[in-house]
Amino acid sequence: MIRHLYVHIPFCHRICPYCSFYKHEPGSTDTAAFLNALTVEALAARRKWGRRIELETVYFGGGTPTMLSTTHLERWLPEFRAALGIEEVKEWTVEINPRTIDARKAEALLGAGVTRASLGVQAWDQSSLTVLGRDHAPEEAEEAYQVLRSACFPVVSLDLMFAVPGQTLEAWQYSLRRSLALQPDHLSAYNLTYEEDTAFFEKFTRGEYVRDENVDGAFFTEAMRMTGEAGYRHYEISNYARPGFESRHNQSYWSGEDYLGLGPGAVSTVDRRRWKNVENTVLYMQDPLSGGLGEKAAEHLTDEQWACERIALELRTARGVEISWLPDGSRMQDVVQGGLAEIAGDRLRLTKQGKCVADSVVAHLWV
Amino acid sequence: MPVAANTRNFSIIAHIDHGKTTLSDRLLEKTSTVTMREMTAQHLDAMDLERERGITIKCHPVTMMYQSKNGQVYKLNLIDTPGHVDFAYEVSRSLAACEGAVILVDAAQGVEAQTVANHHLALEQKLTIIPVINKIDLPSANLPAVNKQLEDILMIPHEEAIKASAKMGIGIEDILEAVIERVPPPTVPEDGLLRASVFDSVFDSYRGVVMYVRVVSGTLKRGTGITMYATNNSYEVKEVGIFTPKQLKTDLLEAGDVGYVVANLKSTGEVKIGDTIMETSRMAKEPLPGFKEIQPMVFSGIYPVSSDDFEQLKLAMGKLQINDSAFKFQQESSAALGFGFRCGFLGLLHMEIVVERLRREYDMDIISTYPSVVYEITLASGDELKIDNPTYMPDPGTMLEIREPVVRAFILIPNECIGDIMQLVAEKRGILENTETLDASRVMLTCTLPLNEILVDFNDKLKSITRGYGSMDYEHHGFRAEKLVKMEMLVNGEPVDAFATIVHRDKAEARGRALAKKLVDVIPKQLFTVAIQAAIGGKIIARESIGSMGKNVTAKCYGGDISRKRKLLEKQKEGKKRMKMIGKVNIPQEAFVAVLKTGD
Ligand SMILES: Nc1nc2c(ncn2[C@@H]2O[C@H](COP(=O)(O)OP(=O)(O)OP(=O)(O)O)[C@@H](O)[C@H]2O)c(=O)[nH]1
Ligand code: SF4
Ligand SMILES: [Mg+2]
Repeated sequence: MIRHLYVHIPFCHRICPYCSFYKHEPGSTDTAAFLNALTVEALAARRKWGRRIELETVYFGGGTPTMLSTTHLERWLPEFRAALGIEEVKEWTVEINPRTIDARKAEALLGAGVTRASLGVQAWDQSSLTVLGRDHAPEEAEEAYQVLRSACFPVVSLDLMFAVPGQTLEAWQYSLRRSLALQPDHLSAYNLTYEEDTAFFEKFTRGEYVRDENVDGAFFTEAMRMTGEAGYRHYEISNYARPGFESRHNQSYWSGEDYLGLGPGAVSTVDRRRWKNVENTVLYMQDPLSGGLGEKAAEHLTDEQWACERIALELRTARGVEISWLPDGSRMQDVVQGGLAEIAGDRLRLTKQGKCVADSVVAHLWV
Repeated sequence: MPVAANTRNFSIIAHIDHGKTTLSDRLLEKTSTVTMREMTAQHLDAMDLERERGITIKCHPVTMMYQSKNGQVYKLNLIDTPGHVDFAYEVSRSLAACEGAVILVDAAQGVEAQTVANHHLALEQKLTIIPVINKIDLPSANLPAVNKQLEDILMIPHEEAIKASAKMGIGIEDILEAVIERVPPPTVPEDGLLRASVFDSVFDSYRGVVMYVRVVSGTLKRGTGITMYATNNSYEVKEVGIFTPKQLKTDLLEAGDVGYVVANLKSTGEVKIGDTIMETSRMAKEPLPGFKEIQPMVFSGIYPVSSDDFEQLKLAMGKLQINDSAFKFQQESSAALGFGFRCGFLGLLHMEIVVERLRREYDMDIISTYPSVVYEITLASGDELKIDNPTYMPDPGTMLEIREPVVRAFILIPNECIGDIMQLVAEKRGILENTETLDASRVMLTCTLPLNEILVDFNDKLKSITRGYGSMDYEHHGFRAEKLVKMEMLVNGEPVDAFATIVHRDKAEARGRALAKKLVDVIPKQLFTVAIQAAIGGKIIARESIGSMGKNVTAKCYGGDISRKRKLLEKQKEGKKRMKMIGKVNIPQEAFVAVLKTGD
């Protein structure tokens, strides 16, 4: 069964210097035509997969999905739902940037069936926001949060980022404190990484920005501590939730469930086959079924590759990875004896100490 | 005896970097052997490795035709030689194919240790010597001083020296004319029987072994039935030719010529450097004088990174040996590294070159272990033993005596450095035998030194103390009993045999600390803390630890990132294949190499 759907909206007001997602400024893109292309692709997907599609979660990511105007959303969302035959999904997330949301748009989203708002706050101190090239001020993020809350979104999540160049531990604590004070249902805290083909990466290779593992670790530990004290559950390396508010959609990626991706650059994985739509909005709009083309070039994941992904992803979660995926029992003993992981039933999961070196534990177990 | 009247055979010899290969360039141009269009700088240094390092590693023969001022045309066989002390063997073999030697002296550096040593080799072989002072274009050239050194140190009247600049093309014609006038033509035994001396060989994947020969008498051509004197194997000549410097097929090689012979020899065992080629149907009674069999003095283990490559490596070494007769190898195994080879070299540079060539020319992924010299041991039982691998050092309780190889070194230095150099010699456990004033500004120290002590960094230190003006030559000088112990390096408590060394007891602590520190630097942080220890006979003499890995917190990882993340892990796995797992520790290849570079 295909229970999960991702939709990529590649537009952003302006490009953040650290971002490596497929996105661009809308320029002269004909939004209505773009949305129509998405509908066409959705219809095609439904034709192709038919009854195998039984959606439980939908995720609109980007880019900035809320760049779409309320009018466009109101007109298009019902059409899109119909195209896929979406009755009622358990969780429908939309990524939202401050400054792109107001009460009307929030209403439109809720009216169309959206259940979860993920607000890209990134930081609460202006200097981190400036370094990150975000166009909103802290007050605007606060306003956006209140809009979402007043609209009564069932779940509101905040996105934060740590280890931003120049960010002090105090600044990070401030961002955490101010986030927690709002009592969001869910909180994501990502370690900034330097990805190729970004302005940050260039500065990083030139040595202007440096990465210090110990600093990253301290920020991370602080996030674990403060969210823990506030009653959040650390259910995945970068994600914290009040009990019961974990994101189902993201969990589906980690546990290896099938998902479809629509829109330019979106990735799908079905039956251990993975493909990616063309990363070019113009081409995508000319032929929204290029997703099908992508599928012809699908990557067939071997057992070994599949096992690798299971270990790498599931070990990041609180449940841990099923021990049967691990290729080498003595490697598992190493990390258990080292206090980095513990065995719980038929699963291996990271200890607090292990979470700080999750990548290395994965490498030790699999490589 | 008749002579090949219009042939001249000569080598260019000198201290390292005095300009031999650059001079060869000018000679090739002047004689139009290589056209301007084909010409590259240091043309004879054809190997990539030679070009990159800017040094000559092998002897390079080339045949040039030259019309002298006297109107006659001469066939000149030139052999360019290496200057580095490790390759002295190449020089002596080259000289054996010649009647003359051009000895170059850098006008700024003056006479250096290998100038003296190579001059010596040429005199021993009774060659005519043509002294050339090169690099006279340098602002720092000091002709009066060099003239005086020629007389005082080499006993050559300075009037004989030709002033030249290989770089600017000055004095080139004078050198060619001097070769014709001063170097005697080869003399040829009258019996007309074939005698050709094999002074080098290379392996060619299509034609098999290509032998470099000097024909002393008789002729060699396609179809000649030949017998290799040493092995008594017979072959039919497939091809002969000369070096231009590329191999150029010719109809025949005759008395006095230097060229190459291809005769279906396929393997290492079939060719012995220094052997005499004879004609099967008309064998000469006696072979030509051969070369002293060269004994490697430095040993190291070479192991394939992946054990699957063992056979491949063996083949590669066999082929390389045909190109480099001084390189020796023999199968061995190591607990840490698996199956591999114990290899013998002439020195550390030779070792580096062999390892590099195996990597590049034969595409082998290999690890080499810390170099060792060969030790002589007398056991309590009275038995004698030689070991070239520290792992095999017997239990100290069973040994009566252990002796290490010693060299007699000739160190040529400016006067003002004498104090510092004597201190360096003492630090290296050397014994000063003699101090000789060569001229107003230079002294020659003669001392005995343990070979082990000069292997790694002695030359670098000598150069830095003397700001480049000091140089050293050495010869082997037997064995000396010493307080030597085996030092082991333990990684998480497990001894790693590939890191074991034999050291002087008094230096063990310092050496152990240096090695442990080095390992800490080169072994990447692991998931857990790793203890690195140095031990002698089970007693820990130095310890360090590698702290566990810092935090790594990953960023977002959703749908689209999954493949990317996996690919990263796959790449990591690939990388790990290139590491050796010892205990639970992944030791990268660089660790084995870096340990090499630890002086004390
Ligand atoms: N100024 C100047 N430099 C020279 C002259 N001849 C050679 N050189 C430089 O000296 C360096 C060494 O020259 P090579 O010809 O490689 O010396 P070599 O004697 O063949 O060195 P090895 O083969 O390593 O022993 C190079 O940088 C040359 O360019 C010269 O006449 N004048
Ligand atoms: S808004 Fe989001 S998607 Fe757009 S550039 Fe910034 S980080 Fe990337
Ligand atoms: Mg040279």
